[in-house]
Amino acid sequence: MDFSLNEEQRGWQMEARRFAEEEIRPLSAKQDQIADPRETWDWDIIVRGSKLGFRTLAVPKEWGGPAADFVTQAIVMAELARGDSAISKAFSQNWKWSHLIAASCTREQKERFLKPFMADHRYLMGRGITEPNAGSDNRLPPPDAPKAGYRLRAERDGEEWVLNGEKCFIANGSVGSLFFVDARTNPEVNVRQGGTLFMVPKGTPGFRVGKVFNKRGWRFYQNAELIFENCRIPHANVVGEVNGGVKASAGDTTGGDIFGDLELAANAVGVCDDAISMAMSFARTHKRAGRPVMDHQIVQLKLNEMHALTEALRSYVMRVAWERDQGGPVGANAGLAMNLSTDIIQRVTRLNMDIHGPEGCMMNARVDKLVRDAMVWTHLAGDTVQRIKILKRLGGTAAPSAGAH
Amino acid sequence: MYNLHLTAEQLEFRDTVREFVQNEVKPAALHPSRLEPFEKPLLASLLDDASRMGLRTLSLSEAAGGAGADSLTTCLVLEELAAGDIDIAMALGITQGLARVLFDETMNDAQRGRLLPEFVEDARYHLALARSDFADRGWNYHRADAGEPGTDPTATKQANGEWVLNGSVGFVQNAPIAKLFVVQARTDARKSGRNGLTTFLVPREASGLVIGSVEGPFSGQATGGRPLTRWHHGTGAHVRFENCRVPAENVVGKDNQSPLAAAVHDVRADVQIAAINLGLGRAAYEAAVDYAKIRVQGGRRIVEHQAIGTILSDAAIKLELARNQIWKAAWVADHPDAVTDRSVADLPLHTIARVYTAEAVNEVTLGAAECFGAMGVMRDMPLQKYVHDAFIFLNGCGHDSATKLEIAEAIAGFERQAAA
Repeated sequence: MDFSLNEEQRGWQMEARRFAEEEIRPLSAKQDQIADPRETWDWDIIVRGSKLGFRTLAVPKEWGGPAADFVTQAIVMAELARGDSAISKAFSQNWKWSHLIAASCTREQKERFLKPFMADHRYLMGRGITEPNAGSDNRLPPPDAPKAGYRLRAERDGEEWVLNGEKCFIANGSVGSLFFVDARTNPEVNVRQGGTLFMVPKGTPGFRVGKVFNKRGWRFYQNAELIFENCRIPHANVVGEVNGGVKASAGDTTGGDIFGDLELAANAVGVCDDAISMAMSFARTHKRAGRPVMDHQIVQLKLNEMHALTEALRSYVMRVAWERDQGGPVGANAGLAMNLSTDIIQRVTRLNMDIHGPEGCMMNARVDKLVRDAMVWTHLAGDTVQRIKILKRLGGTAAPSAGAH
Repeated sequence: MYNLHLTAEQLEFRDTVREFVQNEVKPAALHPSRLEPFEKPLLASLLDDASRMGLRTLSLSEAAGGAGADSLTTCLVLEELAAGDIDIAMALGITQGLARVLFDETMNDAQRGRLLPEFVEDARYHLALARSDFADRGWNYHRADAGEPGTDPTATKQANGEWVLNGSVGFVQNAPIAKLFVVQARTDARKSGRNGLTTFLVPREASGLVIGSVEGPFSGQATGGRPLTRWHHGTGAHVRFENCRVPAENVVGKDNQSPLAAAVHDVRADVQIAAINLGLGRAAYEAAVDYAKIRVQGGRRIVEHQAIGTILSDAAIKLELARNQIWKAAWVADHPDAVTDRSVADLPLHTIARVYTAEAVNEVTLGAAECFGAMGVMRDMPLQKYVHDAFIFLNGCGHDSATKLEIAEAIAGFERQAAA
């Protein structure tokens, strides 16, 4: 077994670390504390990161991207997340759909969409699946309720499709230039048999952004409503085949491929690293009851746990990335790593809060921010549905009636 | 003998407050326009309404004009109130608790005669306790008090018997609304910890009493450049004394012997804070139960899914156990002979209640939020606020994970020596 990074991987790591420390971190707390959810975004940091290659990291070489491998992607996500978890996610969200385009789009579609994506530092992508009444049902469609799941309707009209309906919580919704939208093309059967994936560019008549959600954590990163009212999309924008939406996303309606799972786990590693360095620094420089915080056994035990959990998660994430790069089967491990990262990021960020404690009537805002950011995992990567879903990849049957939300 | 029947009076009290919370407090406290902003000003008119219901004078004796509630009844009421709005519960909890300590237990007749009538009459008359907080609870495990000087306000006696107060207290709960401050100042510099303190009554209008703003400082020079975030319940502010002159008649108890330093007052206060914490957990739990009964995913109401059922039963277990311990600790505070006759363990039951409730409710709120899926992290919904408030109980309000070491000291029979 060889855990060393090659020169290229090391180069990306150093560049991401520098960018996170010098450019993301000074912005992180400031953007987090902006009360209006529409105002937390900052294009400047996106453009600066894009110029360094972070926005287009996963694009294949033939389309002008660096085609970074999964190990590099995992390392860069973790490094960027040390500066700010939500800003890291704003970059990696584009890799997810780069993977999807590379895997499922035609040459003609790549010409139309990958080229402008490469050319414009502000070109971001998103995916619209979730609807107010369809969250868990998209992830684990119940077999006895074929109408469960997304309802956004697409009806054929000549060479066009007419979309009507609404998506919610859509990542990059208010800032994206291109969205992959899951729609029902056959409402009589379940989403796996009657769903089609469409590419919808910003500015298409009949498509608009509704409210931007006001989240407790990941405040930089914007989730919005997407509203479709007689929105006409050319047939040429269908990804894969009609009624083959799930197949077009490589069999997974939530992440495109293992990347979606790996993404959250790798991001969590960076947040845990940040929590550890905050806790270590605080424990060295502050006192409780006349003794350095570090000298108290209750703190020593917590620091030990923070390190152990974070290093275990890092090992798991890197193994999944490496296995994928070797072309071997990843199986359930990407998903399991994601689920585990939910538990670890909660524990590690809370231990950091525990070690800091309050300062009178106040709390270090970054300590609180890490706990708030971590909470997003519970509602995204580690809820019960995400855990039960993985069972399928482990050879179980993913009890379809055990969904949660 | 073991009897968990509440009296008809206790049940009626609880139902009245529950109705008030349901009809008046919740609609205001949980409105998205209040939930979304970072700053949440105290709901002043509801606080006044609650005062007029008698909650401000809840545990003040009937003879003094209050409701004369014992610790257990007080806990029942505070749990209900906190299920509606944590800040109103905390502000009232402090005033009604101090009212009993002051007017019933520690003031002399002259002081009572001067101050009690106005306190009882005025629904906006609140009380605040200004003392350096014992933030190191548990951290000095099995050691003498560190005896770090300079954290308490100081008071020096003048030749004419008057006292002059100087110094500051970083955060005083209720300071923005208090008409009377109870100040613990160090009057004997050779003593530390709870010894060598004198208690003063300082009216809000006293010259030399400076009450800081409710806002900040949350960043900039004052915080050493680090961004900080508000981290408390109720309302509060920094309080400073600048040559604040206090007449000798405003000393409560004796010089150098603060009657408020007696542990019994902290016992009752701890249990009541645990009851407020419990009310928060119940609000989150009830919201999750209601939602789980109407939300349909996976072809059925989510309450019918095992995954959700587990979360809800864990929450119910934790809340029931927390309530058991709170009621027990409150009842023992009302019946101290239960310890001496060996009916209950001679342990700091109030600390056990406080520590267990903080940990349990933290988990309850997180589980409840999880039932809401993505809506659990949205600021226009109450769940994220419940989670936030629970973290403040877990790591705030003079409590953190070291507090439980106080229990271990009691187990070991450790008696703390005050630093020389």
